[in-house]
Amino acid sequence: MYQTLLTSRYLTSRVIPLIAVAAVALCVALVIVVVSVMTGFLDMVQSSGKTLMGDVIISNGIAGIPHYEKLANRLEKNEQVLAATPIVDGWGLLRMPYPDSNVKQSETVQVWGIEPESFAKVTDFKNSLQWKNPTTNQRDWLLLDAVSNNEETIQSLLNPEQWIEFVELINSASHTLNFVEANLWENTKALLNEEQWNAVLSFDVRLSGEDALQQQGLELSRNGKPGIVLGLHVNDGNRRMKNGTYQVSRNDYWWAPRFEGTLTMLPVDAEGGIIEPESIIMPFVNEFQSGVFTIDESLIFIPIDVAQSLLHMDEASIVDLDDPAKIIGVDPARSTSILIRGVPGIDGEVLREIVSTIYDEFSSSFSYETIVLPPLSHDPGLIIQTREEQQRSFTGPVKKEREVMRTLFSIVYLVVAALILSIFWSIVFEKTRDIGILRSIGASRASIVWIFLQYSAVIGIAGSFLGLFSGWLIIKNINAIHDAMGNPPLSIAIICFALAICTGAYTVVKMLSGQMLPIVLGSLGFITLSGVGGLILFIRYIGGIVVWDASVYYFSRIPNELDWGSSLFTVGGAILFCLLGALIPAAKAADTDPVKALRHE
Amino acid sequence: MSNTNSLILEGVNLKKTYKLGRSQVPVLRGASLQIHQGQWTTILGSSGSGKSTLLHLLGGLDRPDQQGGEVLFNGESVWAKSNRQINTYRNNHVGFVFQFYHLLPELTVLENAFLPTMIGGSFTSKSEAKNQAKRLLDQFGLSHRFAHRPRELSGGERQRVAIARALVNNPSILLADEPTGNLDEETGNGILDVLGALHQEGLTIVMVTHNMEIANRGDVIVHLRGGNIAQLD
Repeated sequence: MYQTLLTSRYLTSRVIPLIAVAAVALCVALVIVVVSVMTGFLDMVQSSGKTLMGDVIISNGIAGIPHYEKLANRLEKNEQVLAATPIVDGWGLLRMPYPDSNVKQSETVQVWGIEPESFAKVTDFKNSLQWKNPTTNQRDWLLLDAVSNNEETIQSLLNPEQWIEFVELINSASHTLNFVEANLWENTKALLNEEQWNAVLSFDVRLSGEDALQQQGLELSRNGKPGIVLGLHVNDGNRRMKNGTYQVSRNDYWWAPRFEGTLTMLPVDAEGGIIEPESIIMPFVNEFQSGVFTIDESLIFIPIDVAQSLLHMDEASIVDLDDPAKIIGVDPARSTSILIRGVPGIDGEVLREIVSTIYDEFSSSFSYETIVLPPLSHDPGLIIQTREEQQRSFTGPVKKEREVMRTLFSIVYLVVAALILSIFWSIVFEKTRDIGILRSIGASRASIVWIFLQYSAVIGIAGSFLGLFSGWLIIKNINAIHDAMGNPPLSIAIICFALAICTGAYTVVKMLSGQMLPIVLGSLGFITLSGVGGLILFIRYIGGIVVWDASVYYFSRIPNELDWGSSLFTVGGAILFCLLGALIPAAKAADTDPVKALRHE
Repeated sequence: MSNTNSLILEGVNLKKTYKLGRSQVPVLRGASLQIHQGQWTTILGSSGSGKSTLLHLLGGLDRPDQQGGEVLFNGESVWAKSNRQINTYRNNHVGFVFQFYHLLPELTVLENAFLPTMIGGSFTSKSEAKNQAKRLLDQFGLSHRFAHRPRELSGGERQRVAIARALVNNPSILLADEPTGNLDEETGNGILDVLGALHQEGLTIVMVTHNMEIANRGDVIVHLRGGNIAQLD
């Protein structure tokens, strides 16, 4: 077929098809990169809430669910349910122990009383814990705290000369606050004999115990005392750095696990009035990070029995009103909600139906003699929801945002489409004379259109897939590219300047000949190269540019997953617009009288 | 002169008007002429006399005005045919040679020459068509140029490729629009010699020129003045 012959010749013997392929590839890559990063970002926001929620939640507000253990047992017996865990949810005031007064000292916090063991099965609690083992510096702080708190015991273990040396060592270290320089750990160890050193280590299990810090977080206790796990941003001493890592202010001085805090909660009675507030002092055993800023700045975990007692939801005796000494029954402990995790892959809606059925069985299993009955599933206040429903107020805006972004991107699509259309328009326009020749020797209009359809299909497919590949490469390496942009290598600047000098010299030589094109291209090349070189030097001078500021987004890395759905849509769209872009002008040219087309220059 | 009797192509009262902005410019005002088998007709006229337009109408490239006369090929009206038949007419029955050669720059000399056989024609195989193109190019002294691109050829060579292309499907008539207009005199004479030789072999030729001397090469000279046929020699 002569169409194929012409198409292949048009493709191979000119520069324009290469430019067109490059343009299509760039457009496709641009859209793919932007859409993928945006979708990835929104997905991260949406999925970060999953960390600390189950798949389905049963809740009955402050009135609570009595006999919740029985419910949890029933739930866990179902094959579709992996685990269930009760939660006591309430609000409280946490007095922070910051030794300095120029920071907020009390925080309003949402308090979750949890059963750590089952909670870790339902949620990703373990991985959300921030501290596994203390850093060297944090360990030295713990050592300093341990010896300060056990001064008398240590003094009794040491001989007087040792003691004086020991006090000097500790004092100098606590004054410099620089344990690496003071070499506190090694010097102390060297000063003491093995027995004395082991005695010091025994003051705090975190000094020597493997993963002891993480274990305390998982158990919500330290040395048998109940403890608090803080959201990472509850403590103002934690600062997020631009690269997404955390730094504890003042050289770990404000490291939360060193301290304890006072938690006050407001119990509410059956009428909704506030009963006498209850307070408790508990050590901070660990910190967690869910990835959602609003959760990380306000949520804390405490053991469920502590929360029940603070909120008066623990087990109590029911007494005869006429004779307070006469106990007529037991008001069982309550939880405000139960989080349920299904087996992997189960649909949230399906699991909710299963949970509803189990709840109905549970609520109807009590005899009428039982004094405190659980609420029925249709009672107002009792809610059985999937995580998506529960999170709707949080994810709703994010989803809307995504819609807005999609709409904005459709404008990008239009721009790209217009660009591709105009490229092909000019290609076909340039070939109008050829079309006239072909028509004059008897080619039909349809066959003319077919030539350009083939031509644009090849360019469209090649360009789109090249764009898909480049987009994929960019997305996969986007964090490396971002880091390189933030800290461009000096060698590239030097290469740019060297090339700029060569181009400049070439331009000057060409100026003597008076030809315009080399002068224009040379000057542009010189300006671009020296500009890029200068920009790199400037970025290095100001210490690098950070586009993705992790301290703003709370995600340390730019999402680097290709959004295959919209990428393939983009590829298809680009090919379609290539075809349209060639079809319309080709059809127009084919309809032109051959004589007019031949006159076209 | 060989067989001058049978009428092969006829223009009857041809009218053609061009739009130039808002004004209508009549180019042909009712020109009629008859082309006989084996005849070399030259249409002589000054620039703008409508001689190229007349040739385009005869060759099926341009359409006469509504009720602007008829082009009859073997007695059948060309412009009454379907689009498909007009394409066949252009491809098979007439061969066009233009002043500016109009070769496809991306194709080789050989490919340009046998391109019409790929579009249509009576060849049963590609090699047969290729051989026909090669034979014509050989005849015009271009056997060493098969694989070259048009831009590597001289003007005279390009025009000879164009003639080969026009003749590759064995058309009944060769229509030449100022075939020497873009060439120096010596090269132009070379082209006219080629046409003369083809005419000797019996080819029917219609050639447009503004040059009296060149027009004299033909058997019949048609003068075109003011859009009308002025005189038949």
